[in-house]
Amino acid sequence: MSRRVLPPLVTFVVGVLVLEAVIRALGVSPLILPTPSAVWSAATREAGPLLAALADTARAVLLGLALSATLGVAAAVALAASPWIQRAFYPYAIFFQIVPIVAIAPLLVIWFGYGQRAVVAAAAVVSVFPVIANTLAGLLSVDPNLSDLFRLHGASRAATLWKLRLPWALPYLLTGLRIAAGLAVIGAIVGEFVGGGGLGVVVLGAMRQQRTDLVFAAVGYASLLGLALFAAVGLASRLALRHWHASETDR
Amino acid sequence: MRAALLALLLACAAACSPRDDGTLRLALNWKPEPEFGGLFEAERIGAFAKRGLTLERTGGPGAPVVQMVTAKQVAFGIASADEVVMARDRGSDVVAVFATYQTSPQGLMTHAARGLGSLAEVLGAKGTLAVEPGLPYVKFLEQRYGFGALTVVPYTYSITPFLSDPTLTQQVFVTAAPIAARRAGADPKVFLIADSGYDPYTAVVIAHGDTLRADAARVAAFVAALREGWQGYLADPGPANALMAPLNPEMDAEAFRLASEAQEPLIEVAGGAVGAMRPERWTTLARQLQELELVKEALPPERYFANPE
Repeated sequence: MSRRVLPPLVTFVVGVLVLEAVIRALGVSPLILPTPSAVWSAATREAGPLLAALADTARAVLLGLALSATLGVAAAVALAASPWIQRAFYPYAIFFQIVPIVAIAPLLVIWFGYGQRAVVAAAAVVSVFPVIANTLAGLLSVDPNLSDLFRLHGASRAATLWKLRLPWALPYLLTGLRIAAGLAVIGAIVGEFVGGGGLGVVVLGAMRQQRTDLVFAAVGYASLLGLALFAAVGLASRLALRHWHASETDR
Repeated sequence: MRAALLALLLACAAACSPRDDGTLRLALNWKPEPEFGGLFEAERIGAFAKRGLTLERTGGPGAPVVQMVTAKQVAFGIASADEVVMARDRGSDVVAVFATYQTSPQGLMTHAARGLGSLAEVLGAKGTLAVEPGLPYVKFLEQRYGFGALTVVPYTYSITPFLSDPTLTQQVFVTAAPIAARRAGADPKVFLIADSGYDPYTAVVIAHGDTLRADAARVAAFVAALREGWQGYLADPGPANALMAPLNPEMDAEAFRLASEAQEPLIEVAGGAVGAMRPERWTTLARQLQELELVKEALPPERYFANPE
């Protein structure tokens, strides 16, 4: 355990100390780059509102992620059904990866109204592509020998999907979700810039009021959310795969 | 790696002080529009050049103007008086030297059909209020009138939500969104925030305190040139508008004309020089921001502004 926790902890402590020393030595204005200690004091002094905003954002991120997992897997299964469907639709799935969320976020507000629905939609839009792409790769890379085995035994399409192809794609899906988790946090905060609520509004308000320390504090809370989600997907992955998949056994 | 990058960043921030080729850089906080009419007019008639000044415009929508001036990346910037008070409270040495709008052009725009007659009525009615999060005047209005039945949402710099929602009220510059909304077929009614008692100087030119002390003559020359430009613009905005229009395709000639007309009473001062500021206004503003807990203390007014001569 200590071998895994120690290196990042050392990086963090050294990084923070160097940053603090450099900012102080150069006399940088707190308006431009606050010291880590100033950010820390904003993060603790304003912990109440920040935690409330964090809970708001976390709800939207989880809903957005659930949406993109569901829709992403469904889309991947549909795309994997035939090469023709895949060729016809996959290029359009890529739209979700390249869509500039900042540009379409105001439209999401017009379509879904202000508030959580627009924020969830923004989180889902930016996080669905890695789920589709990874799940699809998994569905298409099933061991041909196993496919043959299922066919020899006369397994139905549904049974093949349920017992062979989806389990085979599971590790891929979980990798996709790890990428999606971080993106969903970004999507939700951008969504909040226009839809309202959560850390997004805290960041905007703090910038408007020249509270650079609070901006960084809010960003810190957002990264904690991202880290927690990343860890949760990692844990789910370990629990789901440890008995049978090489990526999570013997660790 | 991280430390090296940071050192690089900081070294740049420290080194990016005003260029010494004599060019003065001015950061705008929006696209060219009548709000900056006097500046363009001053350039057009050579008011800067004849005082030996070379000016370079930079910045634009979303530019962190106060930070740019604080870091001395630019000599001058456009901000609002409340931004100056908050920045000084956070340890920045920025000072206002010229105030374009003597009356704040900020307002709330609602639909005339609702029959609301005052700010208090607008804020007391049920509906949606679209404002940028964190605006000091919104906090002031909330404290003064309360937002009983209002849903507050972020303003997205678009009048589309206003046009499609008859119960939506949004923040505006009286010189911009109301004109666009009327031309899009809506019947807007605008209430000036200034009527609530919160009236910061707006479109204020700021400079770093060091610049003001070390280079007082050039700052005074700059302000004099800008004033000359504004006097010309107020007399005839046409030529400067024609200069700005190609730089801001979102506004057509008619929008420019209507905006320069709408802003005139907010800029002109009876019996005073355009752009000059009075200490009482800064005292009031600093006290209001302190009461809103947006600044720790209200400083003496001369710390916030100067009328360079």
